[in-house]
Order: sequence, then structure tokens, then C-alpha cells
Amino acid sequence: MIPVNYLDLLRLAAPETVVLAGALVVLGVDLLALREVETGLRRLLLLILGAVTCGAAIAWMAAFPNLGNFMQGMLVVTPLTQWVKGGVLALAILTLLLSGGASFTNHWGEYVALLLLSAVGLMFLVSSESLLVIFIALELASLSLYILAAFHHDAPESAEAALKYFLFGSVSAGFMLFGLSLLYGLSGSIDLREIAAALGGPFLDPLLAVAMVTVAVGLGFKIAAAPFHLWAPDVYQAAPPPSAAFIASASKLASFFVLAKVLSVGMGGLEGRAVFGDYLPGWVPLLAALAAASLLWGNLAAIVQTNVRRLIAYSAIAHAGYMLLGIMGGKAGLPALVYYAMTYGFTTLGAFGVASLVRDRVGGDNLSDFAGLSRREPWMAFCMLVFMLSLAGIPPLAGFFGKFYLFAAALKTSSLDLLWLVILAIGMSAVSLYYYLQVLKQIYVVPPPSGLAAAPIPSLPKTVIILAALTVIVLGCAPNLLLRVLAAP
Amino acid sequence: MSVGLQHYLVVSAVLFSLGLLGVILRRNLLVIYMGLEMMLNAANLALVAFSRFTNNLDGQVFVFFVITVAAAEVAVGLALIVALYRRRQTVHAEDLTCMKL
Repeated sequence: MIPVNYLDLLRLAAPETVVLAGALVVLGVDLLALREVETGLRRLLLLILGAVTCGAAIAWMAAFPNLGNFMQGMLVVTPLTQWVKGGVLALAILTLLLSGGASFTNHWGEYVALLLLSAVGLMFLVSSESLLVIFIALELASLSLYILAAFHHDAPESAEAALKYFLFGSVSAGFMLFGLSLLYGLSGSIDLREIAAALGGPFLDPLLAVAMVTVAVGLGFKIAAAPFHLWAPDVYQAAPPPSAAFIASASKLASFFVLAKVLSVGMGGLEGRAVFGDYLPGWVPLLAALAAASLLWGNLAAIVQTNVRRLIAYSAIAHAGYMLLGIMGGKAGLPALVYYAMTYGFTTLGAFGVASLVRDRVGGDNLSDFAGLSRREPWMAFCMLVFMLSLAGIPPLAGFFGKFYLFAAALKTSSLDLLWLVILAIGMSAVSLYYYLQVLKQIYVVPPPSGLAAAPIPSLPKTVIILAALTVIVLGCAPNLLLRVLAAP
Repeated sequence: MSVGLQHYLVVSAVLFSLGLLGVILRRNLLVIYMGLEMMLNAANLALVAFSRFTNNLDGQVFVFFVITVAAAEVAVGLALIVALYRRRQTVHAEDLTCMKL
């Protein structure tokens, strides 16, 4: 029996504790002090309280950078996990502020508390190397996100999308748990490092192959990689826009990080080989298959979409394909992966913000509803231009350098083994330019419909969108700002 | 015949497959939930069996947490069904057709 040092635990889990306490405070304040307050003010106060909580957690991490390993991998805090957690919190702040002008619910206390709780889940997910904590954190994050997806009180599609999300999510959680139980049985430990030492490699036990595939199914669902992507288009389209933005950005960032961790730390000797025509079973060929399917299906299905949020969903599936390349790049690919996932998070969050503004104004977010946006809202149109071009990978925006570093990492570590996949990814990102330009064509070329009265847009979401666009431009022009600290040992 | 680890694992795999089949084939959301629970319990059985046969208690602790998580999951799932039923008066999977590919 190892004695537990609770002070150590508190030191390492302080940021999570701050956010958790913030969630409870939000619920309490909403219940005790804000019952009688008018909805708009109440919403503003609660959102700011939530954002301040996340900011406090970031400030805490910056001021007291406690690193360490608690209870054999239960909680592992490294500079890299601090940065990823900071990214999750920053995305949570932007999501909260993005909800500033929204009217999809009256239960703002619950909304903010659930968002903070899912952020706590994602933070624990990032900083644990124990199967048990990973599973619980994943479920905490997922269960909160299911409810957030159902928050639109007068849209029947919202509940339907949330239910689909829940069903797919629970099945994949079942798969993942089954895989984790096999991993535990085969290695006799729930710590990823001990598992890697016990499993060895490079040859794959049949039971271990089952474990690997079921874990990949479970996490493949969270990152929305084809063929486990079926929930994504519905949820992105029908969930309240800020919830969808959070699901598409922060949840994806943390899930990619944990997938990379489970595979490269927990199954370090079992990479296998995915050379075209000569392969060795392992997780690299498995991921290569997922990546190829996501790239093809995501990009080709996005071409025929008429709803912008659904289009972003299919493009998210394609982006999951690009990001899987970073995981295959091994340890050296990790900074590139985190850089890509973070900048992708800001980009897609901003795109959801613009879609949400258009939806509030025009009443829908189909492609045709974006017609003439540049005449009505030149700044929002310009931000959407930045987001779409960054997603397509046009320099000097962050999307270009993200892709560049991912492809370089995939090629560097495996001595051109993955060349075929990189070529496919580059070809597919050329395809993706078509549907991103479709959106921009509506915004800049097609004339606006007549009879649309000018109305002021709420300033909080507008600020968030401009902030996201600035982040994308700055991180694109100076990728080293982020990459250097991510790659630091 | 003594019951060994592989017997437990076979039962666990059968339970998991039955749960998955239930999720895929059944149309009533409540029955689908029962399938989901069966999948989680299959994993629980495997965890407990591994724990017993390797003399390592981590697996049993794991199961306690999984049972708790499963309860929370059902609570959220039933809430979602209620939300759906209020708006659409249905609990059947084939009626979830607001959005199409």
C-alpha cells in the first residue's frame, strides 16, 4: 500500500479543482442570487463568472507550474499537458463568450456549469496516464457534452442530435472499456507505462489486437474519424452553435492528445508498419486505414453539403484524417499534432461563431443564407475568409503551417513509409479548397437577398470571432511562438 | 471441470456481442439502453475475472467506478429520451430522421 500524499494531489490537480469549484459556484450563484434578475443580465453575469474561472485556472498554471507524476501515472503533469490544458481552457472561455448573444435557453447556470464540468473532464483526460482515470475523465466530458448538445429548447433537432451523439458515444465507450479491460488483463496494470513494459512487442497477440482495435473504436468516435463519424454531422448542425463549437474544438484537442498518449506511451512497442504493400500489424496500419477513410469520406462528402455547419462537420472528419498523421509520427509528431489541433480549434470555433450570427440574423445556416454577407458585415465576412482559407491550408494562415508540420513529422520519423498517405492527404486538401471556396463565393460574390434589415450584432460574439481570427493569423505568421514551447522537453 | 480465466472471457465476449447486437437490431430506445448496459457489464466481468486470476486489485476498483459511471450514463440517457419525447412523442430509433445525409 503506497501512502497517498493529498497535498501533492491538490498541487497537481489545482487547475482542475479551480474549474470544478467554479462550476459549483456558478450553480450556487444562479440558484441563490440571480433568480429574480432579468435573463440578459443573468446570462452575462454567469458567462463572465465561468470565463473568469477558466482564466483563473490558466493564471494558476502560469504562476505555479507544478510538474510531477502522482500515484504511478494517475496524474501526470508535464509542460506539454499544461499547454494542452491551457488550450482547452482558452477554447472554453471563447465558447462561453460566444454564447453572449444567444437565446437558445433560459437555463444559463446549468449551461455554464456543464461547460465547465466538461472542461474539467477534458483536463483530467489530458493529464492522466492511468486507464481508470482516462475512462472516468472521458465519460465526465462526454456526459456533459451530450447534455450541452441537447440545450436548444425549441429546436426538435437538437434533442435528436444529442440522442444520436449519446447512442454512438455510449457504444464507443462500451468498446473502449472492453478494450481497456483486455489491456489490463494482458499486462496486469492500469498504468500506461507499465502496460507498455509488460506488452513488449513488436508481435501482436490476437487478444491484444482485439484490445487495440476496440480502444481505437472508442477514441475514433471522440475524434470523429471515419467510419465512426456518423454522429458528427448531425450534432454540428443541430446542437446550439456554442456547444457544437466546443465539441468540435476543445473536445477534439483533448481526445487527440489522449489517443496519441494511449498509443505511443501505452503501446510503444507495437507500432507495426504501414508501408504500401508490406505491412506489419500494429497501430500504425490501423490509424493509416482510419486516416485514409476519413480523408476520402470527409472531403468528398463535404462537397455536396448545402448546410454550412454540416459542411464544417464533414471537413472536421477530413481534418481528423490529417491529425491522425501526426499521431503516426510518434513522439516527434506530438508538438505538430497539438499545434494543429489548437489552431484548428480556434478556426472552427470562429467559423461556428459566424454561422451562429448568420443563423440569428437570417434564420438559417444554409449556404444560401450566407449570400452577400460581405455587404452586410464586412468584418465578419473577412473573419470567415480567414477561417475558411486556414482550414483549406493557404499560407500564411495557421492551417497551412499546421499541415506542413504534420506531414513533415509523418515523413521524418518513418523513413517515407507513410509517403502514400501524405500524398493522399495533399491531394485531398486540394479537393477541400473547392467546398471552402463555395462558402466564400456565397459571401463575396452572390448578391444579398433584398429586404434584410440591418440590425446590430451582439458585441461579445463579435469580439470572440475577431479574436479567433487574429489568433489564426498570428499563429500562422509566427508558428514558432507556439511550436517552440510545445517542443520544449 | 474447473472454471478458468478463459471461460469468464468467453462469457464476457458473448455478453458484449449480445449487447452490441441488441443496440444494432432493436428499435426501441429503452431496449437499446439495456444493450448498452450489457456491453459495459461484459467489460466489468472481464475486469473482475482478470483481477481474480492475476491477484491484482486494480481491476475490482475499476469495476466500482464503471458501475457508478454507468448509472450516471443512464441518468443522462433517460433525460435525453424525456427531452426527445416531449418534443416528438416517440421513443423509436427509426423516427430520428430530422436530418439526413
